[in-house]
Amino acid sequence: MNNHAAELISRLKYYLRPLSYNTKLKVGIGIFTAIIILGALEPFINKIRLGDRSPDEIGLGGPYEIPSLKFPLGTCPWGRDIFGMLLLGTRLTLTIGLLSGIVATVIAVLLGFISAYKGGITDHVLRSFIDAFLVIPTWPIFVIIAAYVKILGIIEISLLLALFSWGGAARIVRAQVLSLKEREFVNLAKISGLRDLEIILYEILPNFAPYIIVSFTNTVMGSIFAETGLRLIGLGPPLLPTLGYLLNLTMSGGFITVRPYVVAIVSAMLILIFLSLNLINIGLEEEFNPRLKKVTGL
Amino acid sequence: MSLIRYLVKRTVTYLLTLFIVITITFFLFRLIPANPIAAFVGQLEAQGRYAEAEKAQQVIEEYKKMFGLDKDLFTQYVSFLRELLRGNLGPSLIGFPTPAQNLILERLPWTIGLLGISTFIAWTIGMLLGCILGWKRDTTYDKILTSTALIFSQIPYYLMAILLVLIFVYYIRILPSGGAYSPQLTPGLYWEFVKSVIEHGTLPALSLILSTGASWLISTRFLAVTFLAEDYLHFAEAKGIKGSRIIKRYILRNALLPQVTGLSINLSFMLGGQIVLETIFSYPGIGYLFSIAIGLLDYNVINGVLLLIIFTALTANFILDILYPLIDPRVRYHE
Repeated sequence: MNNHAAELISRLKYYLRPLSYNTKLKVGIGIFTAIIILGALEPFINKIRLGDRSPDEIGLGGPYEIPSLKFPLGTCPWGRDIFGMLLLGTRLTLTIGLLSGIVATVIAVLLGFISAYKGGITDHVLRSFIDAFLVIPTWPIFVIIAAYVKILGIIEISLLLALFSWGGAARIVRAQVLSLKEREFVNLAKISGLRDLEIILYEILPNFAPYIIVSFTNTVMGSIFAETGLRLIGLGPPLLPTLGYLLNLTMSGGFITVRPYVVAIVSAMLILIFLSLNLINIGLEEEFNPRLKKVTGL
Repeated sequence: MSLIRYLVKRTVTYLLTLFIVITITFFLFRLIPANPIAAFVGQLEAQGRYAEAEKAQQVIEEYKKMFGLDKDLFTQYVSFLRELLRGNLGPSLIGFPTPAQNLILERLPWTIGLLGISTFIAWTIGMLLGCILGWKRDTTYDKILTSTALIFSQIPYYLMAILLVLIFVYYIRILPSGGAYSPQLTPGLYWEFVKSVIEHGTLPALSLILSTGASWLISTRFLAVTFLAEDYLHFAEAKGIKGSRIIKRYILRNALLPQVTGLSINLSFMLGGQIVLETIFSYPGIGYLFSIAIGLLDYNVINGVLLLIIFTALTANFILDILYPLIDPRVRYHE
């Protein structure tokens, strides 16, 4: 057991090393952490700014108020505080993305792992299932469900998103496990009589950690992408003012004609989220996927 | 022999998947707590309170019959399948009593035109630039263009659309913000109308071209760099074959196949994306129709568009699976 622990620590060190020299990883993690901190501080910032009132409360200020110290980004046609809603939206969008990312990654890793490790008929069935899920346009189906199920809270929408976004990640996991399975150290472990679970826990999983993180960031992005798209066309749970909702709000009702730069700021926040997650992804691929090492050439 | 077995097997899988998905979507609508048709009939029923009760009930019964709601679930399912095979989706609510399929067919050319043209441009430019940049890897051009493309490919197409709208509609006011042509014009084949269509289509097309073109470029460049590491290409270079010939004959040819596959895999994603894109630009294609129909609880139209998207994606994949072994001799017809 001690042996395993020491090995895990050394492996952890190996994984953390690129953080000191890979610029993409550093920048990506830096931006994403900053956004997460901003989202986490939202309740405190808005409490100080607005007291007990919520930023999306109608009539908080007058309609179309110009930016001021009290409302740094002005107010919407219904007098809601845009700056406060931007912070709130960031928190909600990130929460939904991370939550469904975790669930989708668990589904993807489990299905991908079982499919590749077991092989045979199990693999055949699971692979057809994963492939079908990738070929069928699931997003419109998600839109329909989300539009008609009105009782969606933050947990429900995250679970629903997770249900629709694990496909791509499952395929990557399966392919990676297939290649890892054939490596010699796994064969050695099998010959030396380790049980399946031990091989998975001590031999495959540690080699596999970067791919799980890549799957995770991918599904987080996929979920935020789907949720924002849904809200952008004015659908989804009306009580969750996410960034997509805010974008829809600022783009409609003539608001965009009056203050287009507010729309630009809201879009910029979303672009930063996508960009930072992608930088993390590309950085990880470069470090841990030998085929891709430096292939992006940047 | 194995060829026939493969074809039969693949066809059966295709038809089975299609059938299962159609069945699932049918029952999905009935499982949703707020059944769209029930809501519509409910609305009529509520209105009935203010009209003569008997006549109102008559109207409601008519509607129920028209939408097939007076039978049990299984009968509804069977008649739905039978009508679907005849190409009949039932009446729409948006344009009642126009059948849903007519509404969809009316809008379809806009979607095909927009998606087809922009995908063709994006794919072609992405392929060509990707091959050239792969060949010229690590030069200044490559570094600048590839990193720009990398950033563009990470921006979701709808955010790209919003940025383009901000720039070209609200800051430099040169392009219209929505619609497919100026409402003052009657559709026809004359220059003013064609110009209007192009002007209105530029922004939605550009947002698709910029974001998808960038990702085609990145993936093609990745393929090109992989090919260039192969021995036969080292040999070709050593023989002194010209760069343009290597790009055309070796890299582009090899990249063609995986990128055509990529096109068909992305189809389901692109079709789904039309819903958001067309809604942003109020572009009168099936995507915009879909989001209007959802807002107005128009069950038959929603179902029709959904089935069309699913059918297209599955069929494209099926055709590709059948053709693939014919194009690529390395792939043989077996499991």
